Parts: sequence; C-alpha cells; structure tokens
Amino acid sequence: MKFQINRRGLLKTAAAGAAFGALQPFSRAFAATDLVWMTWENLAKDDYLAAFVKETGVSITKNFIGTDDEQFAKLRAGGASSVDLITPGLDKVEYYVASDLLQPIDFAKVPNAALLYDTFKKTDLGKKDGKTYGIPFYWGINPIVYRADLMDSEPDWSVFFEGDKYKGKLAMRDYALEGIMIAALYLGIPKDKMFDMDDKELAEVKKALLAQKKLLRTYWNSIGDLTNLFASGEVVCAFSWVPPYYDLSARGLKMGMAKPKAGVIGWCDTIAVPKSVEGEKLDKVFSLVNYLLGPEYGEKLAFGGPYAQGTSAALSKLPDDQKEKIFVKDLSIMDSFVWKKNPARYNDWVALWNEVKAS
Amino acid sequence: MARSRTGFWLSVPVYAAVVALCVAPLLILLAYSFFQVSFVAVLKEPTLKNYVRILGSETYRWLILKTFGSGLMVAAITAVIGYPVAWFIAKRVVAAKSAFLTLLLVPLYTGDLVRIFAWRMLLGAEGVINTFLMAIGVIREPIGALLFSSLATHIVLTYNYLPFMVLGLWLAFEALDDRLVEAAADLGAGATSTFRRVTLPLTLPGLVAGSLMVFVMVVGDYLTPQLLGGASGVTIISAINDLFGTAFDWPLGSAIAWTMLAILALAFAGAAIVISRSSLGKALAAGEA
Amino acid sequence: MIAADRAKDTSGLGNSPLLQGIAVHKDYGGVHAVRGVDFRIAQNSYVTLLGPSGCGKTSLLRMIGGFEALSSGVLELDGQSLDGVPASRRPVNTVFQNYALFPHLSVEENVGFGLAYRSLSKAEMASNVESALALVQMSPMAKRRPRQLSGGQQQRVALARAIVNEPRLLLLDETLSALDRRMRKDMQIELKDLQRRLGMTFLHVTHDQEEAFALSDEIIVMNNGRIEQQASPAEIYRRPATAYVADFIGGANLAPGRILSVAGETAVIDTPLGRFECPSVAGLQEGDKAVLCIRSELLRLQAGEGGFEAVVTHTVFRGAEWLVEAKTQGGIVISLIVDEPEPPLVGSAVRLGFDPARGWIVSAPTEG
Repeated sequence: MKFQINRRGLLKTAAAGAAFGALQPFSRAFAATDLVWMTWENLAKDDYLAAFVKETGVSITKNFIGTDDEQFAKLRAGGASSVDLITPGLDKVEYYVASDLLQPIDFAKVPNAALLYDTFKKTDLGKKDGKTYGIPFYWGINPIVYRADLMDSEPDWSVFFEGDKYKGKLAMRDYALEGIMIAALYLGIPKDKMFDMDDKELAEVKKALLAQKKLLRTYWNSIGDLTNLFASGEVVCAFSWVPPYYDLSARGLKMGMAKPKAGVIGWCDTIAVPKSVEGEKLDKVFSLVNYLLGPEYGEKLAFGGPYAQGTSAALSKLPDDQKEKIFVKDLSIMDSFVWKKNPARYNDWVALWNEVKAS
Repeated sequence: MARSRTGFWLSVPVYAAVVALCVAPLLILLAYSFFQVSFVAVLKEPTLKNYVRILGSETYRWLILKTFGSGLMVAAITAVIGYPVAWFIAKRVVAAKSAFLTLLLVPLYTGDLVRIFAWRMLLGAEGVINTFLMAIGVIREPIGALLFSSLATHIVLTYNYLPFMVLGLWLAFEALDDRLVEAAADLGAGATSTFRRVTLPLTLPGLVAGSLMVFVMVVGDYLTPQLLGGASGVTIISAINDLFGTAFDWPLGSAIAWTMLAILALAFAGAAIVISRSSLGKALAAGEA
Repeated sequence: MIAADRAKDTSGLGNSPLLQGIAVHKDYGGVHAVRGVDFRIAQNSYVTLLGPSGCGKTSLLRMIGGFEALSSGVLELDGQSLDGVPASRRPVNTVFQNYALFPHLSVEENVGFGLAYRSLSKAEMASNVESALALVQMSPMAKRRPRQLSGGQQQRVALARAIVNEPRLLLLDETLSALDRRMRKDMQIELKDLQRRLGMTFLHVTHDQEEAFALSDEIIVMNNGRIEQQASPAEIYRRPATAYVADFIGGANLAPGRILSVAGETAVIDTPLGRFECPSVAGLQEGDKAVLCIRSELLRLQAGEGGFEAVVTHTVFRGAEWLVEAKTQGGIVISLIVDEPEPPLVGSAVRLGFDPARGWIVSAPTEG
C-alpha cells in the first residue's frame, strides 16, 4: 500500500523518470545471488525476510517505491532489466502486461500459490490469456473510518452524498478511481458493470459527486494528513484506509470502521517478475515468491502490518483477534469486496473527477 | 584570441548542463504534448488533439485561469504588504538590518508541510483563532471558512511567498537614493505623488522581480491549495499530476504544462514590451535605475 | 550669544528680510549641529553660507528646505513661520549637491517635475520648461537622460529644474564642488548672472571661500554650529568679526596680544611683534586679550629701522609674486607677498613692516 506517498515529488519523479530513466539504470552492485525487489518499504522489513535469506543464502536488495505510478514509470523508462521482482497493484498489472514488461508466473516453482484464496484464484485481474502475471500477494480493504464519539450511528456510503448533518465534516480521498467507484456503489450500479459505465451512468455519477463535494471539508491526499484531520476534529468521517482507525484508537480516540453492505473497496498488491529475468536467477526469484506466499512471511505480515497475505498459508498460526484485524476471520466478507480494476474509459473518469473538483 | 577560446571551452560544460537539465526535459515534454496515448502505449504520431482538448475543456480553461488568477492576486497582496516592510528595513533599520532579514526568512527555513500544518492549527475549527473568538464570545460556532477555503489558501500563499517580494523590494529600496525622494518633495510632490512619480518607478525593478518570483511560485504551488483549500483546492498543477500519474496520459499532461509555459512566456513578453516602451523601461534598459 | 547679537547688527540689506532665522537650533540626539543662530537674508541677494565641513551649514540649509525639523527656534519666510510647512509646500527649491536628478526621467521631464503641482496648461508647462532649459543652455539636451550628461550639464539641469518653479528662495547645496576648477569658475559667473537676471534670492552653501567671494552679496561664516559673521565679502575680508573669520577667510596673519588702550574705533595692542595702534572691532576694553590680524599682502620687506624681524622658512613662486613664509622671534609664523623678481633666501633674516591703519584687531577666541 501507499504509505510513503509524496505527491510533490511525484511529478518530478515521473518527468525525470521519463527523461532520464534510460540514462540512469538502477545501480547493480551485487553478486549473482543477489535479487533486486522493487517494493513498498513496509513489506520488505529485514525480519520478514530473515528466514528466506538464512535458508537460501540469497541476498535481497530493496528498491523502495513511493507510488505505483512511479514504479511503472521506472520500469517503462528502461528499469525493467535491472529489477528481478516488482510489486504492482492488482489493478495495474495489465499496464505492465500491455507494455510487455512481465513474464508469466511458473506455478510449478511456486507451490504456495495453491493456497491462494478463491477470490484471487478466480479473478481475471493480473491475468492474460490464461496466464498469471501478477500473484495477489497481500490485500486489505479501504473502509469508512469515523469518529464514533462524534457520530450517532455507523455510516454507509450515503453519508457522503445526502443529508447535511455532517456537512463540512467529511473527507474523500482525492483519487478518481475510488471516488467514482464509491459513487457507483452508492447509486447501486452493479459491481460487474461499474468499470464499463456508459455516458448516462457517468453523468449520474458526476451529479452525485457534485452533491458530494458540497458536503466535504476537503479531499485528502496522504493518509497521514487524513489522520491529522480526524485527530483535530476537522473531519469526523471519511472514506479512508485502515491505519487511522488503529492509530487514533491507540491514542484514545473512539474510532469506528464501517464496511458498507453495498460493497467495500478492496485493494491488493501483487508480485510480478520482469521479463528479462532468466536462468538460475529466475529460480531464485520464484523461490522468493513462494516464500512471500508462505506461512513465515504471512505471520510476520499479519502482526507487523497488520495485513493479510494472498494465501491462507499463515491462517492457522493466527489468533482470532489478529484474524479479525486483517479481515480473515469471516472470509465471507470477501464476497462484498469490489476489487479495484482499471476502467475501460479511465481517462474519462479522470477528466470527470477533475471537472467535479474544479467546479 | 587564445584566451577567449579557452573561455569558450571552459563554458561548454555550463551550457551542456543547462541544455541537459533545463532545455532537454522541456523539449521532451513538448514532443510528448503532440502524441496520443492508447491505454499504456504512447502513439508517436504528431497531432494537435491534446491542445484542442484543452481549449475545448471548460475545466482546464477554468483551472488555468484560476491558477494564474491566484498568482496575480498573491503577487498583488504581497506587493502591498511588502512595500512598507521593505521600505522599513532598507531605510529605517540601521543596526539590526541583518537580524530583520533573517527574521523575515525564518518561515522559509521550515518545510512547507510544517508551515501548512502550523496554519491548520491556527485556522482550524478547533484552532487558535476560532477557540479565541469563541472564548471571548464574538462567535458561537467556529468559522469553518477560515480553513479549507480559498481564503485559507491565499492567506498561506501570501505568508509563504511574502519574503521573496520583500527581498526584491528591499534590494530596490537599498539602491534608491533618498535624495531623490527629498528632491521630489522639494519640487512640491506630496507623499502620494512622490511614491507614484519617484519611489514606485525607481523600485519597479524590485517589484517586477518580486512579483515574478511570487507569481511563478504561487502558480507552481499545488500543495498549499490541496492541503488548505478544501474541496475546491484543485489546481491545474494537481490536474497535471493526475494526468501523469493515475491517468497515464502523459501527452495531455505535457500539453497542459506547455500551454501554461506558453501563456507565461506570452505574458512575460507582453510585460517586457510594455515596460520597454515606457520611458521607465528605456531608463532601465540604459542601466540607469 | 555674542555671535547672535552681531548678526543682528550687520544682517540684511533691506528692512524686510525674505528669510529670517531666530535662535535656530538643531541637535541630533545630543550632537548640536546648529546652536541657536540668528540671521536674515534680504530679497534678491546672493548669500553664501560658508564654513568648514561639520560647521552646521548643511543642517541649516536642510532646515530651510524643510528636510529637517528645527529642534527649537523659528524660521520665517516673508514674515510667515515655516513651522509645520512641509518641503513640498515651501516656495523654496534646492539644487542638491549630487544634483539628485531623477534617473528615470528625461531632462525635460526632470525640469517639468515641479510644474505639475501648479495649475498650468500643458502648453504653458512646455514653454516654461523650454525657457528654463534655454536659460541654462541645455535646450539641445532636452530628450536625454541624466546619465548621458556630463557633471556640468547635470548641474545646469538641476538648476533649471529648481528655477523653473520660480521659488522665492533658491538653495544651492555645495552645488559646484563636484565640478573641476575651470568649469566651477564658469558656473560661478553664470550663477551670479542668473541670480541678477531672475531677481531671485539664492542661498548657497559652500566650503570654498573663493567661491563665496566670487558669488556673494553677503557671506554668512559658520563655525561649530554658530554664525561667526554675516557681512559683505569686502567687510568680511577687511574687518573680520572674529579671529576665526580672519584666519578662515584669506588666512590672515594672527598675532595674539593684549589691549593697552582703546580710543574710538582704534585700539593699541601689545603683541610679540610689537605695539601697534590699529582699527578694532567694537567693544574691546583695556586689558582684554585680543588678536592682531595682518593680511599677507599688507606686509612689506623693510630696509631700514622699525617693524619686526623674522627668519624666512619657505618661499613659494606663485607666478605674479612670491609667497614667503617666515618665523618671528616670538615663534609666530607669518606669510607675506613679495612682488619682486627674486625672493629673500630661505634662512635669511628679514625685517617686516605694515601700515597699522590697515591692520585689524579682534577679540581673542574664547577657550574651547
């Protein structure tokens, strides 16, 4: 997930990546047994990986990313040849595949993949022509988080669209994809149609979003910022990520987390292997992939994150309260998930989102 | 001869660096602005479609206008505040001059995020100002519009960039000969008239320099509107950011960036022509002011 | 306040002065720049304010111009107090030391600057500017910028910019001091000529006594914040009011002594050079410490008896004559003019004399 977001740096990085990517290959001062993993900082903590390193003798060089877009820009600009494993979002894998940057996963070398939750086995995301390019590796949900001390009842999506009880005290993430998905959920557009909305439906979405904008205190851009807004009482309820709920509860605030029946936005990052990796090194990469889907890593992530792995490998090792925290106690919740997916008319979505914000 | 050739070769790395670091990225951006994007593939067939889209889009037109409007407004506000401050530091402070200038720059030593959050504490619903006003009974409900509003954005933009305006004006005031102000008074000019006919024209280079700095920085600052402007805090820069980032529409993003550059360049060129045609401009060009 | 009393005695050419200063005082945080001076400046006169740097003449000028407030005292112009009247409202214009021309305006715009504050039509303004420029022979430069002009030309523009407003009083602040000697001489003549033709009153600050002599109807000599004397150049030269004035103006030979007797307008003084009966300032009394002033050109080499002895220490050829410096037995250094082909040899003893009727006795300077 995107914890180290630095929006200001983003544009610069993207532009510089475009201009100079080819001139600045990632440095590779490593031996043959070294693997380069481009990933989020919170997924590659040394103690998460210690068992793998000890067992195989392979060392891992971490190449941390700030945003998914940045990762994509780096790879496209020629970085693919110097990275052995990347961590794209499930909905973004198709970008990489379309850009011919990835190779299919060889499941024979990744036995733990058999433990993937059904929903990940069934999903079309991350796959093309029957081959899997990105294995769902860890996941979570983006719920509604709210100040339980300042709200009467558990909200659902409608709080962002109607009534004015909480007018000026709500926040929405500044992200076209999720913003429009939530509007679609609120409007009751079915999950399977959501990413192929026609002009009429998009017009309805826009209307709803314009109504929403009047109720908002602000759009948020980093989760740290949102946490701050909750803490200072500027915002009582927001479409959020999970961390503010735990952070602020730990600081003594009475926080609530709502998972609306209409659907919850699920997110999932995958691990994927760049096309150029081959030979002995490729075997090492797959053994790392297998480890990342295995029980040791899963347990560390469940407590350290706390996040759920894409497989059930570590499930038996976890106490109930920890399972609850990472949404795997009652697996039926996965049925209400709407996995983020790349809409066919994404540019129109972004344009619509900007129109709403600029209105 | 030999010496000038040495000078030429010595300057080559400088030019090379400028070209590589400044010109080349802009040219790449320009090239992209004529491309099209199809999913993740950039189609390198020159087209003007992106520019047509910008012209045809009320959203982008409005955002560009809004951004430039903010730049002009903040430049104007900082000029009005900056003039007396710069005058005071240049002409009235003797011993503690460097202390004053340092004090002026203190806000710049803190990061912009730190400043933004400090302002939130000041302007927020449970912030210092609202708490104080409620405590003394002036208001019953906190004034929400103090934060997450255009007002908040412009207060903080003004605060952020005032030092640059003051620095520009301060330099101009330091160079301004007090005897010219006395001469104007001697010839019958009152305070206002002296300001208009002598002080203003002679500090105009500082005002122009300060305004350009402030304007450009305000136009480029999307963090402040985003974090303090509330739901309407979108700027053209954050829209470009979205296009480069989430939408992967580099061509359209490049086209907007270049539209901005072109408008800026035209505005500057226009200003330069106006100034150079005025008598003052001629004096400036002759290096007299 | 002896100086003040004296100023009243000698001041003014007419009965109603254009400008009058009464006990004008200026102190800058304890530093007394001008110490309660009185003076009067007559209409249509050219008055110079002469003194060494730091004597207070510039402060006085700035108070008259309205750039500094008086610490105490009164300035009256045409009988009206200038107290509280800002510089912009005073019928007084200044030619500044560095000219202070507006760099962003052309010569004609500079000259026309002050006319904007009078109700004149555009045409009138233009014609006034034109004639002011013609007056200082700067018409061909009308479109130029100050930076494109020489020092002398800038000077003329500054002058035109001031006089075009037809001020009651024109102040000139060390105006000629930046010019080279030759140009200074020319400008002195022009200034004087201009003042006569315009019938305007000029008050000109300078530290150059030659300039003061060349220009002035009256000279006000200032020293240490006080006015030492206000009088015509000839009067100041011949009958300096104080030893300071005698020394500062034309470098008179000074011999300190004591008054032996006073008779009408003459007195007898006993000095190391001898006893002499000479004209004296008023108010001396027997037994007073006093100073005998003898101008260099009054001293003669004397062949026979009488006079006093001195040993020649320096000789300087000055073209028309020799300037000879000699030391008397009493240790007084004397200078004299020798109008002969060859000067006395350095080291030789000479005998010097003068016509006592042209000597001049003043009070000894008070201590400090």
